[in-house]
Amino acid sequence: MKLREYEAKNVIKEAGIPVPAGFLIRSADELIPHLGALGDSFVLKAQVDVGGRGKAGGILMAGRTDGITIAQELFGRQIKGLPVKEILAEQRLDIQHEYYLSITVDRSSRRPLILFTEAGGVDIEITAKEHPEAIRKVIANPLMREIPPFMIRELLGTAPKEIGPVISKLYRVFLEKDALLAEINPLVTTPKGVYAADAKLIVDDNALGRQGFSVNRDLTERECEAEKHGFSYVELTGTIGVIGNGAGLTMSTLDLIGFYGGSAANFLDVGGGAESERVMHAVRLVGSVPSVKVIVVNLLGGITKCDEVAKGIIAAAIPQKVIVRLAGTNEAEGRAMLSEKGYEMLDTMDLVVKKAVEVAA
Amino acid sequence: MIYGDKKTGVLVQGATGKQGEFHIGLMNAYAQQVGGRGVVAGVTPGKGGKEVHGVPVYNTVKEAMRDHDISAGVIFVPAAAAADSIMEEATAGIQTIVAITEHIPVHDTMKAIAYAEMEGCCVIGPNCPGLLSPGELKMGIMPSGLFLPGNVGVISRSGTLTYEVVDELTRAGIGQSTVVGIGGDPVIGQTFVDVLERFGNDPQTKAVVLIGEVGGNLEEEGAKSTDLPIVSYIAGISAPPDKRMGHAGAIVEGGEGDARSKIARLKKMGVPVASRPSEIPQIVRNLFRDHC
Repeated sequence: MKLREYEAKNVIKEAGIPVPAGFLIRSADELIPHLGALGDSFVLKAQVDVGGRGKAGGILMAGRTDGITIAQELFGRQIKGLPVKEILAEQRLDIQHEYYLSITVDRSSRRPLILFTEAGGVDIEITAKEHPEAIRKVIANPLMREIPPFMIRELLGTAPKEIGPVISKLYRVFLEKDALLAEINPLVTTPKGVYAADAKLIVDDNALGRQGFSVNRDLTERECEAEKHGFSYVELTGTIGVIGNGAGLTMSTLDLIGFYGGSAANFLDVGGGAESERVMHAVRLVGSVPSVKVIVVNLLGGITKCDEVAKGIIAAAIPQKVIVRLAGTNEAEGRAMLSEKGYEMLDTMDLVVKKAVEVAA
Repeated sequence: MIYGDKKTGVLVQGATGKQGEFHIGLMNAYAQQVGGRGVVAGVTPGKGGKEVHGVPVYNTVKEAMRDHDISAGVIFVPAAAAADSIMEEATAGIQTIVAITEHIPVHDTMKAIAYAEMEGCCVIGPNCPGLLSPGELKMGIMPSGLFLPGNVGVISRSGTLTYEVVDELTRAGIGQSTVVGIGGDPVIGQTFVDVLERFGNDPQTKAVVLIGEVGGNLEEEGAKSTDLPIVSYIAGISAPPDKRMGHAGAIVEGGEGDARSKIARLKKMGVPVASRPSEIPQIVRNLFRDHC
């Protein structure tokens, strides 16, 4: 789950990394008491859960005299379709140079990867493509709580030594907050010292509980509902509902829909050991999406009991057509139950998907 | 065979849990069928002295190792304790550790794998179905009824999709040497590179099916590392960016790891890529015709 900018900045500030003086406001009036502290010129940043908010008009410059009006304007805007409920009002920094610092989980080495470049402030993906030599990398040992000084020297090169402690502190944040990504871009030098002008933290979804989060804000309402039942659910834009067991098989079913010229409305992985009640909830959830015209159920596994699955599909009693491919224990019983009720059952995933694409067309 | 055979003695952690108990039964039914040793001991702290399907349960891995010849372990314990179980097995000297558990926080996995590496043992998973060498050894939860002994290796990040592909291969009369589910998490122990290295040293394996999905570039790293003829299939061509597709590791991030570019890179290396699972058997046949 991605933290909002002000949350990420609070976390790194607590870890001892300087951030610009800032105040979170929920209405333009809340800005008034802070105008003195913010100075002649400051920045208003919409706290919305989307990327690229600057280009979408979510960041505005303001001053002592026009600050309230500009804040009102920003509260009235929609950024990529999302209303602005919170604004971070932040002091402007006297920037001398911009750097980039990030710590991620590296799949190849299975360890934390720290990236630093003196060409900060710009899009790191562009730097990686055009000047890969400008990005310095080290791989840390996850069994150590600290990064050894030689690694920090390697990262810094000729950059100011005062950035070193920021790297150490961000690494501690990365470990303590179960982060998948801890990024400061830009990390800036000013006459008053080093500051994190922007910060990004993504917390591991599997660690939200121990990090004190009760809900995953990255999920839509229906995705949250699905999570309560233990399903993995992703909303898409097509017309064919997809229920499978296992992430790979469900993804593969989606792909096959595309292969045969259809479009999937969602991805629902019911997980292992699908009992009738779980299947019923899954079918109802997918059936509740208005754009779904037909549902493909593709369940495969040695331990999936087909009669349980059949019971769940029948109990869901949704208006849309449900086309089923089932393989596993008690296959004959499951098939008998479904065909008695007039459900269509086909033997392979190619066949069910082809049929569903025809029905949806 | 890679990772083990009939003679491998297996330990199960989380033996008295619902999953552990159920799968000890299935693993030992398979061991009996093929004449293997199967699961010889279980471990659940506080449940020492019990038995599960006739298998003795111990409080610690160390105690189980004192009484039995064990070289591999399968972990079914809940996510919060699974990393600890990996480290306990590594410390006790178990060589191959299969972690079935899903939802382990990535930082725990990173530590446990770094620790196991230090102790010189290998971890398969987490969030994986384990492995099966037909006619020899089953460690994990794969449905053994679908398998056929033969000389095609299969490596996959998925569970049920692996069964789908194995089913297709078996129906086409193409047997498997070993099928390994390496897991759907972003950080896993054995990657495509590691398993391919084992297949490269395995005289039984003549070709490998590599089943990947969106996220990262471990598939390409694997394909680059081997001389074996390989066929690939990549799931998730329809996956939208920045959405986790069921597996914690199946996510297109920062424009990286999407299926189309993965497939393009594999094809550039000369790896045939199936556009759907049902095409895999024919491509494998073509490989055998061209290489063997």
